[in-house]
Amino acid sequence: MWTILAVNVILSIGGSLVILNVVPKFRDMFVKAHLSGVDLNKKNKPEIPEAAGVISSCIFLIVMFIFIPFPFSKHFFNKEWGFPHQEFVQFIAALLSICCMVLLGFADDVLNLKWRHKLLLPTVASLPLLMVYYTNFNSTTIIIPKPLRFLLGHDLDLSALYYVYMGMLAVFCTNAINIYAGVNGLEVGQSAVIAGSLILFNIIELSGDCWSNHLFSLYFMIPFFFTSVSLYQFNKYPARVFVGDTFCYFSGMTVAVVAILGHFSKTALLFFIPQIANFVFSLPQLFHLLPCPRHRLPRLNQKTGCLDPSVFQFKDKSLSTLGRLVLKTYQLLGLIKVEQAEKDGELSQSTNCTLINLALKLTGPKHEKTLAAGLIILQVMCSGLAFIIRYPLASLFYDS
Amino acid sequence: MWTILAVNVILSIGGSLVILNVVPKVRDMFVKAHLSGVDLNKKNKPEIPEAAGVISSCIFLIVMFIFIPFPFSKHFFNKEWGFPHQEFVQFIAALLSICCMVLLGFADDVLNLKWRHKLLLPTVASLPLLMVYYTNFNSTTIIIPKPLRFLLGHDLDLSALYYVYMGMLAVFCTNAINIYAGVNGLEVGQSAVIAGSLILFNIIELSGDCWSNHLFSLYFMIPFFFTSVSLYQFNKYPARVFVGDTFCYFSGMTVAVVAILGHFSKTALLFFIPQIANFVFSLPQLFHLLPCPRHRLPRLNQKTGCLDPSVFQFKDKSLSTLGRLVLKTYQLLGLIKVEQAEKDGELSQSTNCTLINLALKLTGPKHEKTLAAGLIILQVMCSGLAFIISHPLRFDLSSPVIIPKGGENKSDINYLHNTFEIQFAHLPVTSKLDDDDPAKDLSYANEAIDKERKKYLEKIEKAPSYL
Repeated sequence: MWTILAVNVILSIGGSLVILNVVPKFRDMFVKAHLSGVDLNKKNKPEIPEAAGVISSCIFLIVMFIFIPFPFSKHFFNKEWGFPHQEFVQFIAALLSICCMVLLGFADDVLNLKWRHKLLLPTVASLPLLMVYYTNFNSTTIIIPKPLRFLLGHDLDLSALYYVYMGMLAVFCTNAINIYAGVNGLEVGQSAVIAGSLILFNIIELSGDCWSNHLFSLYFMIPFFFTSVSLYQFNKYPARVFVGDTFCYFSGMTVAVVAILGHFSKTALLFFIPQIANFVFSLPQLFHLLPCPRHRLPRLNQKTGCLDPSVFQFKDKSLSTLGRLVLKTYQLLGLIKVEQAEKDGELSQSTNCTLINLALKLTGPKHEKTLAAGLIILQVMCSGLAFIIRYPLASLFYDS
Repeated sequence: MWTILAVNVILSIGGSLVILNVVPKVRDMFVKAHLSGVDLNKKNKPEIPEAAGVISSCIFLIVMFIFIPFPFSKHFFNKEWGFPHQEFVQFIAALLSICCMVLLGFADDVLNLKWRHKLLLPTVASLPLLMVYYTNFNSTTIIIPKPLRFLLGHDLDLSALYYVYMGMLAVFCTNAINIYAGVNGLEVGQSAVIAGSLILFNIIELSGDCWSNHLFSLYFMIPFFFTSVSLYQFNKYPARVFVGDTFCYFSGMTVAVVAILGHFSKTALLFFIPQIANFVFSLPQLFHLLPCPRHRLPRLNQKTGCLDPSVFQFKDKSLSTLGRLVLKTYQLLGLIKVEQAEKDGELSQSTNCTLINLALKLTGPKHEKTLAAGLIILQVMCSGLAFIISHPLRFDLSSPVIIPKGGENKSDINYLHNTFEIQFAHLPVTSKLDDDDPAKDLSYANEAIDKERKKYLEKIEKAPSYL
């Protein structure tokens, strides 16, 4: 087992070296193909190559392709009957889902598909996983957490709903990472921290009962971690490439895939605390209860060189009752800063409902580099919190 | 079996209807994304959306995803031992190779990668297939055709070379389709004809011994055929979309995948006769023995509205000796038309070495629509020829046959039913096991299997001796 993991690590390191080598060479090609974005938070608003996530995704796939024979080489099994057929087909199906997601994500970056497609694409890409899961007659029964057992019993067979849950997990992970963005290095940084935390979790669980699930997850998370770290070298402040929606799709799908096949999706979601918080906080704007501008990333203050929270403007009267209620609640909780219009007919303004803007509101204007570093430290701390919830507190919810 | 095939056909028809619906709607999206090409052979040189192959490829993949449970639903198998594990993983691995190829092909269309990448990308995309093939311990032994047996023996274990052959098959199929292009509808049309021919071949072979291989191939070829036919509605003259390199990659890889996994790559190549001829004919230009212009498609004659063969220009002296030899040979065989320079220092010119230009040379200038139709009819005729060639010689050109490594009866077995061999041949024979061997208890190592095995070996002994 450790030999195979060692091979995985070596291949992953090789992949990350290739990325460090290749990304600078492709930059011109991307700009010529009109795959570029403007860095809104720099003084000179430079044009940066976009969708570089496709490079790290392809290198990840190639590393995984080369790795395929190692965990399943028949040398390790006693003739035919020890061979883990179901795991093998799930491995290949997981790669198929990830590959399909990268294809659809790259098509989204190139063709600029509409937002409703952002919900459809991960669902399509998770189809192979769901179909293989069904064909393998895997279980759709979940164990109910202890506090709810008096209501629902010890376990519950969700059947079709379980497939809906799996599909939605992919949609959620991809989009949660996608909207928690806007600062150089944040998408890749948060993904790397989540991957690192999952690796740690998997290693701890290797000595447990479900070790084979966690070994399976490590086979994916280790290359994912290494390729993300090398992409981060180019995306951190000051960014030389943008990773595009391609990376967010790839990242969300890879995590969703290991969480589903490893049967630890609830723990995996614990590592998504900042993403979930950002998503819930953003809900009123996402559902247009409050106005939602095209970009909600922090705004550059030209004089100070630091980032301020960005705002949206609105007329008090044009808000629905529910919208006004939400606005008041957020204001009371100190989550947003509202500046009322002085006269009637003028526009009021409020800071956007994202975690990044909230962080800036609480700490005051910060330089982009400091903000990015701070948010990644926040991600690490939330992972630590996740470990605390999972281990000592888990016995409150489940039998060991 | 027929129910599952019916489901496949229904899903494929559904997919082709979706394509007919979706392609017009996304055309603007492609042009805005700068994915467009100029139609050089129209008078007004319009700008047409490019890389529409990615749409039909994605619909193909979605159809295949939805189809996954049907051939492998456990309802059809008796407990665990009948389940075709290896076929299932090969099915998913085939889809992975095709999906990867579409991704890399689309990246090529968007980023305009260099020509050397066109050889690398199909190799990378065929990796999953090769890796799964290796992990499944599939055979790398091929049966030598009768005429060569005196030289090489009955069979030959290629081992590593077999993997090189499989990788190169993917590279060849994709690029052979890619260079046999330039006329509205040709890429999709030739692919549809090849797919249709393979479907016919597979259906004929369903009543043979290797029926499971051909059933596997049908699962891929039927959706491929239907999606290509609907894409053809938009690519035929006058083209409303271009399919891009994405389609050529997708097409070549899908055919290569079924040929490799179905073990009929030699027969599949027979359906590629026009592509092979075009490739061989083009070799001097591809290797720069003769000058190779950027585009070798036929040229529009503005006055007549018909297509003439396109030309490349050269100075007699700047050709190498080999180049001049090739030029003379082609000229003698009537494959090209050379116009020598009248004075020294002026440029001579010659028609480009492609099958399309040759066709125009033989038939005279033709309208693009007629030329396209003619080339597709040529493809159909060559498929017919392929059927004639392969039929009486079928056993000689039969696919590489699975011979299990380390099998005791290797020298006795001439022609094997590979499904049986993969599933059962390396299972322990229960009568030979010790009583405390755990394998004896397992549900599939039982007397029923031993009986099947005996029946099968008897059948092998009675196989005709010319095999």
